[in-house]
Amino acid sequence: MRPTPQPRTRSLTIIAQDPGVKVKGKVLRAKIDIPAEEVSPGPWGYRVHVVDYDTSTATLYKPRKYPSLNSKSGGDPYAGASDRQLLDDPGFHAQNAYAVVMKTLARFEFALGRRVSWGFRGHQIKVAPHAFAEANAFYSERDEALMFGYFPGLSGRMVYSCLSHDVVAHETTHALLDGLRERYTDPSSPEQGGFHEGFADIVALLSVYALPDVVGAIIDFASEGRRDNMIARGDLTLESLRRSALFGLAEEMGQELSAMRGDALRRSAALTPSTEYMEMDEFEEPHRRGEILVAAMMNAFLTVWANRLKGLGEVERGFLDRGRVVEEGASIADYLLTMSIRALDYAPPTNLEFCDYLSAILTSDREINPRDSKYNFRQILRDTFAAYKIIPAAKGTREEPGIWDSPEGSISHDRTHFESMQRDPDEVFRFIWDNRRPLRLYEDAYTQVLSVRPCLRIGPDGFALRETVAEYFQQVTLQAAELKNLQIGVPDDMRKDEEVTLYGGGALIFDEFGRLKYHVRNRLNDRERQTQRLKYLWRYGFFRRGRDAFRNFSFMHRQRALSTTNRATEEW
Amino acid sequence: MAQRKKPTALTLRAYQVGFGDCFLLTFHYDSADRHVLIDFGSTGQPRNSGPKLMARVAQDIRKVCTPADGGTPKLHAVVATHRHRDHISGFDDTGGPDSPGAIIAGLAPDLVVQPWTEHPKANPETGAVTRGTTAKGLHAQSLAFVSALQDMHAISQAVLVEADRRKSAIGKTTLKEITFLGEDNLKNLAAVKNLMRMGKGRRGKYVHFGSDSGLEKILPGVKVRVLGPPNLKQSDEITKQRARDADEFWHFHAVAGRLTTKKTPKVFRRAATYSATQTPPYTRWFIKRMRSVRGEQMLSIMRTLDSVMNNTSLILLFEVGGKKLLFPGDAQIENWSYALSKPSVRRLLEDVNLYKVGHHGSLNATPKTLWGLFKNRSEKKKTGRLLTVCSTMPGKHGKTTSKTEVPRRTLVEALKSLSDYHTTEDIKLKESLCDTITIPFS
Repeated sequence: MRPTPQPRTRSLTIIAQDPGVKVKGKVLRAKIDIPAEEVSPGPWGYRVHVVDYDTSTATLYKPRKYPSLNSKSGGDPYAGASDRQLLDDPGFHAQNAYAVVMKTLARFEFALGRRVSWGFRGHQIKVAPHAFAEANAFYSERDEALMFGYFPGLSGRMVYSCLSHDVVAHETTHALLDGLRERYTDPSSPEQGGFHEGFADIVALLSVYALPDVVGAIIDFASEGRRDNMIARGDLTLESLRRSALFGLAEEMGQELSAMRGDALRRSAALTPSTEYMEMDEFEEPHRRGEILVAAMMNAFLTVWANRLKGLGEVERGFLDRGRVVEEGASIADYLLTMSIRALDYAPPTNLEFCDYLSAILTSDREINPRDSKYNFRQILRDTFAAYKIIPAAKGTREEPGIWDSPEGSISHDRTHFESMQRDPDEVFRFIWDNRRPLRLYEDAYTQVLSVRPCLRIGPDGFALRETVAEYFQQVTLQAAELKNLQIGVPDDMRKDEEVTLYGGGALIFDEFGRLKYHVRNRLNDRERQTQRLKYLWRYGFFRRGRDAFRNFSFMHRQRALSTTNRATEEW
Repeated sequence: MAQRKKPTALTLRAYQVGFGDCFLLTFHYDSADRHVLIDFGSTGQPRNSGPKLMARVAQDIRKVCTPADGGTPKLHAVVATHRHRDHISGFDDTGGPDSPGAIIAGLAPDLVVQPWTEHPKANPETGAVTRGTTAKGLHAQSLAFVSALQDMHAISQAVLVEADRRKSAIGKTTLKEITFLGEDNLKNLAAVKNLMRMGKGRRGKYVHFGSDSGLEKILPGVKVRVLGPPNLKQSDEITKQRARDADEFWHFHAVAGRLTTKKTPKVFRRAATYSATQTPPYTRWFIKRMRSVRGEQMLSIMRTLDSVMNNTSLILLFEVGGKKLLFPGDAQIENWSYALSKPSVRRLLEDVNLYKVGHHGSLNATPKTLWGLFKNRSEKKKTGRLLTVCSTMPGKHGKTTSKTEVPRRTLVEALKSLSDYHTTEDIKLKESLCDTITIPFS
């Protein structure tokens, strides 16, 4: 008898965005597929462990036992449950958080073509869906956890942040990004400071838009010209989509949640393209800087969507098929989400700026999808980012402006073994050491290989791309007076013997034959960037407060909610 | 008419009230003295300070305010810079006629000056705001802000209850700071009501940047400028992205706080839970961590809230007889920003002669921009050198390890090396209740 194949996914009910988004008076929900596993009560799976403890009321809720994947319900105990059952059962809240965390993890693993670790040594992240009675939610590396708060809303009903898809995806992204690029929480520049928040917002919002149920709902909210299953073409221009998909969803989303950390969607939607933001003092604040990145990305999404709809055939004069419109929107969000995540491998591991990230997106997408004929995404990204004055860090080629350059100099692969290079940091280090001159490393610095990751990425056409991504980092500590040897500018009021640690590093992308394709780096002795970085760190109190102060996501979210401006320069 | 003349000198009494502020300014005129009390509060009294320190201070104030000829004691004006306990607790009159608040009220001040946020009509429940303090369009926002300040008291109360319940899990140092900040931010209802009574009718002035303090009528020949706090219209001039969501943020915190202060708080009534002795082993490490995180959360909220309250503080600049005396209460940079954004104000501050050190010498209440303006700073002891006065008590607020101790070491070093520095820490209570500084006017 042939063995029955085991299911590869489990389909679970979640609240599509948050309980504020309703259709015909009912909370909009979705079914999402996550990697299959037989979970223990919690849910407690191979990567996520939900522990439902509430510190404010000192209550530990008993977890629900989960039906087997092969059971009649397919392993979803809340299929067909009423709204009240979903909202009033902490067991469902636990499931909602578990499912969205797992889905976000699965998205990262798909995009990057490999397993992705959390930003700490353990394998299972703890999730506390009702951690405290407070309008906050955050990732804590030290506690290996995601903690979600709850609070009574304006209507008197409780607002649970663990029921908000975007909030859960946002926090999960912090935990995953921290695992992929541990130096991105280093204070460096307003852009690196804003990247964690901005990137987490991008992943969160695109994850929501990638759900056809949500896209359908927001199209319906705003579409006056809707008729049966058709939508008037006039409701689908770029401006109309901006109104419906951005502002429309922002209106429907649980408004009280904006008190948690500001209103990412509304604020980004309000940032219509302009080259002025990057020069404005207001956007020196990292969390505001991050909003520019989100705005650029969301505008690219809408532009591609509107362009695709222009080419759709009409089912009746002036009307498009609603199903196709929704499908296009969700697919485009899904594609852009994958692009955004995949780019992380092609981004320098230290001192990131938005221009680097743009080059990383363009290059990584070009590797897996050389023609870009379906969406023309790369050109649209170049244009929309340029409209916000974000220009790629690399010049690129005439055909593909903005992509990273091939490695310079004569790289030697003679003394290293590719088989080992796919997993052995020592072997990669040997490669780096042998090539320290053509790779233009700073030779007086400490150098360490942070990770070696073989990847198998699947392109939109089913094409498989094998790559190995290694990440190294360098650091050297010098006294302020010594920095002039590297032509790095020092703030006027910095003591000459103040110890300054400089960081640099690179991502090495090897092809399937073990040849170096790209060396994406920010050099330790980059005079211009290091001068800017030092100025920023000095201004924002890094030398007084230490690194940990900048890794506190709880504090960061509160600052964002309160629009607090950093005044470290005025402190003693 | 002698009273219209300028004062000839000022005697400043900086009282030792532990962690708090209490300054009595006596302006000497040819005919008589005129007295202004700036703040009267404490949240921690020094060791061996003896019983009823605040009442003794109040009695001393009464004594100073009693005319040499033995007439009726008179305090001419009271300034309450903001509503923190360490600035107003002394106005509490619940202990009867001998309570410090009753003694001060008995001195029948003609004027009580407070920030605009304290106006009795700025009541979120009745929907009123102070006329003239806000522009038309800002009415609702001003109300929301005042409402948020009220919420902060509720939050402090809730945090204190929650911290007390979980004290074994929070850790001594964190608990100590939470308790200190929590108590300082509790609404001191009796003191607030006493101030309100003293300032009833025309005797009350609720002011913002640029408004008339009313003190000039009381102190002939003295110019008094209000440099802070700005009202919301003024704040908006310098901060395009004012925290619109912030008021809501505090509201939700306050409501959540009310939930947790219930005797047996429950969120899901029907949900199955573990009893405290049943917790499965695999949850224990995490629960312990979560409790510790919660303690840090509460402390962080209290610090943020404390700063917001400090930034409602009055900033007053007295100009008299060629001298400038600056009393900024506990104002931090967010409050100072509006005044410092004005070139005319920056010029005005350059030749300050006496600076009351902001917020007991904390790290962020003497903005470096402000400190850099003072031209009378000097390494050499000389006539005309800047005079600085700090009312403080070490070990009450902040931590040395996180460089947040109050008074902040680096600030005190600067004050000592570049000014004639007076601190209430040096007062020996057995000898005197206050440090007395006399400033002659030209």
